[in-house]
Amino acid sequence: MTETAEGLKAESTEVQTAFRRLVLGLADTKRLLGIRYSDWLLGAPSIEGGIATSSMAQDEWGHARLLYAALKDFGDDPVALEHQRDAADYASWDPLDHPLPDWAHLIAAVVIVDGALALALEGILEGGYEPLGGRIGKMLGEEEFHQALGKAWFQRLATGEGEGHAHLQEAVEAMLGPTVRCMAPGDDAHERLADRGLILPSSTLRHRLAKRLDPLLERVGASVPTEARLDNGWDPRRGRGTGHPEEEAVERARGDRNRALFVE
Amino acid sequence: MAELTTSRPLPVVKAPSSQEALPAHVRSHASGGRDLWTDPLPERPDDPDAALLELLHEVLDPELPISLVDLGLIYGARVEDDVAHIRLTFTATACPCMEFIREDIRDRLTREHWIDAVRIQEVWDPPWTRDMISERGRRRLRELGVGV
Repeated sequence: MTETAEGLKAESTEVQTAFRRLVLGLADTKRLLGIRYSDWLLGAPSIEGGIATSSMAQDEWGHARLLYAALKDFGDDPVALEHQRDAADYASWDPLDHPLPDWAHLIAAVVIVDGALALALEGILEGGYEPLGGRIGKMLGEEEFHQALGKAWFQRLATGEGEGHAHLQEAVEAMLGPTVRCMAPGDDAHERLADRGLILPSSTLRHRLAKRLDPLLERVGASVPTEARLDNGWDPRRGRGTGHPEEEAVERARGDRNRALFVE
Repeated sequence: MAELTTSRPLPVVKAPSSQEALPAHVRSHASGGRDLWTDPLPERPDDPDAALLELLHEVLDPELPISLVDLGLIYGARVEDDVAHIRLTFTATACPCMEFIREDIRDRLTREHWIDAVRIQEVWDPPWTRDMISERGRRRLRELGVGV
């Protein structure tokens, strides 16, 4: 099935709102992930690792920009979305609300958060929404390098028995549940889109993520949860927890420091 | 401390400067290779689409000294009612030179009196890969020691 922007506009308001929530959530998460990656440009365990985070940060910002631009079809102004929103309006996934405290958390974010984002994009691609489908192939191609780096580092840290292993375990424990909940919440908005065939059902997404990540996660005694808990602080409007990213990160996301130099 | 001296004059190496040793298309530093752009065509060409592609061959990538066409970024180019329609992709979703590339294309094409406006459609499908670099582009990159 191929769905055009015009076709989506003919859908119910509920379907359009749900789809906008999905795309905005992915865009904001990629923007925040870029910031969290960029925090490690200097300070990675190796210079090559730092350079990799630089490239990945650049990719994430590029992906975010393409996704924000796609929201034009929903009546949004991409410039306002990128530069004029309060932290409380961000729909980015919860695990990125605060800086990643160490390299193990950074690696967990690459494997879990970035991996789940890629899967969510694959789900949209399979849904056939044409305006995004043409962009997602390129994004997924770039994501392959992120996963290659993330998995190599994950195995390296998980194999050790010292502090690295413990930090990785802690990071996975903190990120896995909230990430899966955002990617595949199983709430009304998500399942409405799945019923319409625009995205994959939450259960399919969780199953696919488990198939992809569980062989890695089992090295730290974890596995992808089969159900998402929505009874502890879920914001259905934004499709994430009730908190928000900290102000400092949002100031960077908006580009507050260089506001006078905008060229858009 | 004893003064260091030498009885032998130091050799003087006579070689072209590194800039002079490079081909013209590599030495071009003006954005998009604009110092190498040809003069506007005196008349409207018989085959505007083919002429358009030739003009785009003059626009260089800001980071690699090969044309946007040879780099494989131009997915389509046609002229309709004196408007140039370009289908453009980028090597990466966050290419830092996007704005320069758009500007260089517009500036080169609007020098022609038979082109009133330029419409650029950015496309990502099929995704750009290094396989899309032309043989001529590969040759030029190899001259610079860039393996593709």
